[in-house]
Amino acid sequence: MLGPSLKRQRRIKPILLQIAAIVTFVAMIFPIYALFLTSLQPESVIRSRDVSFFPSTLYFAHFAEVLSPGHIVPIVAAIGNSMIVSILTATACVLLALPAAYALARLPVPGGRFILGGLVSIYFLPTILFMIPLFIAFVNRGLNDTFLGLVLLYTGFILPFQIWILRGFIDRVPGELDEAAKLDGATYLQLFVRIIIPLVRPGILAGYLFAFILSWIEFLTPLIFTNNLKVSTVSLGLYRSTIDIQVGQLAAAAVLTLLPVALLTLIFQRLVTRVFLAGADK
Amino acid sequence: MTIPAVALVAGIYLYPAIRTVILSMSEFDLVTLEVERFVGFENFIRLFQSPSFLEILTRTVYFGLMIVALTTVLAFLVALLLNERFIGRTVLRVAVLLPWAIPPVVAGVLFGQLFHAEIGFVNAILFRLGLIDRYQVWLSDPNIALHVIIMLEVWRALPFMILFFLAGLQSLPHDVFEAAAIDGAGILSRIRHVLLPLVTPIALPLMIIQFIWAMKAFDSIFVLTRGGPGRATMTLNYYVYQQGFQNFDLGPAAAAAYVLLAVTLVVVVTIMIIQRILAKRGL
Repeated sequence: MLGPSLKRQRRIKPILLQIAAIVTFVAMIFPIYALFLTSLQPESVIRSRDVSFFPSTLYFAHFAEVLSPGHIVPIVAAIGNSMIVSILTATACVLLALPAAYALARLPVPGGRFILGGLVSIYFLPTILFMIPLFIAFVNRGLNDTFLGLVLLYTGFILPFQIWILRGFIDRVPGELDEAAKLDGATYLQLFVRIIIPLVRPGILAGYLFAFILSWIEFLTPLIFTNNLKVSTVSLGLYRSTIDIQVGQLAAAAVLTLLPVALLTLIFQRLVTRVFLAGADK
Repeated sequence: MTIPAVALVAGIYLYPAIRTVILSMSEFDLVTLEVERFVGFENFIRLFQSPSFLEILTRTVYFGLMIVALTTVLAFLVALLLNERFIGRTVLRVAVLLPWAIPPVVAGVLFGQLFHAEIGFVNAILFRLGLIDRYQVWLSDPNIALHVIIMLEVWRALPFMILFFLAGLQSLPHDVFEAAAIDGAGILSRIRHVLLPLVTPIALPLMIIQFIWAMKAFDSIFVLTRGGPGRATMTLNYYVYQQGFQNFDLGPAAAAAYVLLAVTLVVVVTIMIIQRILAKRGL
């Protein structure tokens, strides 16, 4: 028997849920929608007070202008720079983190638990704490304003997280596989190359993806370590274009900056979720 | 096999962390980039004697705690919602993930445009609804500017926390909740007595991560307000940047960076103690 109040609840609940769902959707999506809208409207419309939230025409000139080679802020070159730096960083991260993660997960590394604990807690320290001495060291060695300098810093900053991601995936490979291979006389290296690497391919993809995204969005490091427009990354380039007063072009540049990362997140949505939740099921 | 990775991490983290300790206790010569004079705790003492630094310190803690509280409560509610059945649930699950994919600088640009005095949609919407009688210059109001940045950080942090809460809720036996409902427990008492005890162990570690992220917030402040108007949106992290890389006052900047670390640790340890106490009480 259900009480009358419970019955009423059963009837009202779906409506309330639906309203809550719509409110949540609008709150999460509206800022992004507003940005796309601004990037697709002529400057005169953006600046007028009767801008329409559901426009009937779209205007692509901002993108054309931002992408044209003569633009004040070379956003195309910046996208290229970010591609180079992000791909190099992601590659270096995976190459360095994979053996380390394997060793920490499977081999009797002296002080392994300590190293792992240290790596995880280091990631949570404020980045600014390291910046001043690093800046001095990099300037002394001529590493500021270079791709190499950025890749070194990004790789160092992302590695602890990367090792943590990959170790999570390696942990899930059943130990019996190792045991069986060891009985067949396989060395740790053979085990790593023949068994672990093929089995953690999704993990490697996830690690690569995260390192790429984190490098792409990094702002403080290039802000401090690069001055030369030639090595400007996309996030820095975007910030520099905020000085420009063309609102539509700024929005278009912002859309171009977020697009690669947003697309990767959407395409690999399940993988991203899995990495986030890796710690939750332990 | 761990050596290359550990060596790089040590080079990028450990060496500078130690150098920062030395810097925080010295006067620094900018031309030679060398330590000029050892001054002990002078830099720290001077920071704590300055009223404006204490203001920044308080603001930083408020900023962090607000972000943690708002993100936790909102993420919990959205996770509860996503755990129910309604039209468009799959779409909403992807939609709530999206703010995570927005680079912080883009988020800064985006909120800057939303709250813009002349072209901002916030003004346009509120004006059309008749809630304001003229366009407001939101970001020049010290109090509002700080809360716009808090809002931005919460918006960006929500996806991560929603995911965890949702995973936690889905791992709970659904009938616990139903059973309590049939026993006649109202929705609030069901949340209070059934759900919260089950969710708290997930929430506290997430709150720690959230607070640490809030302490690292930089891009949003830099793009939106550069710490202004006045110093209204200056947090410790931004202060270290400004002292170190704009004023090149390296000693005080290094000292402030360690104060930031101390603040982070104090709050994190406090949350851990709360976690212990709750665990002992069986929550």
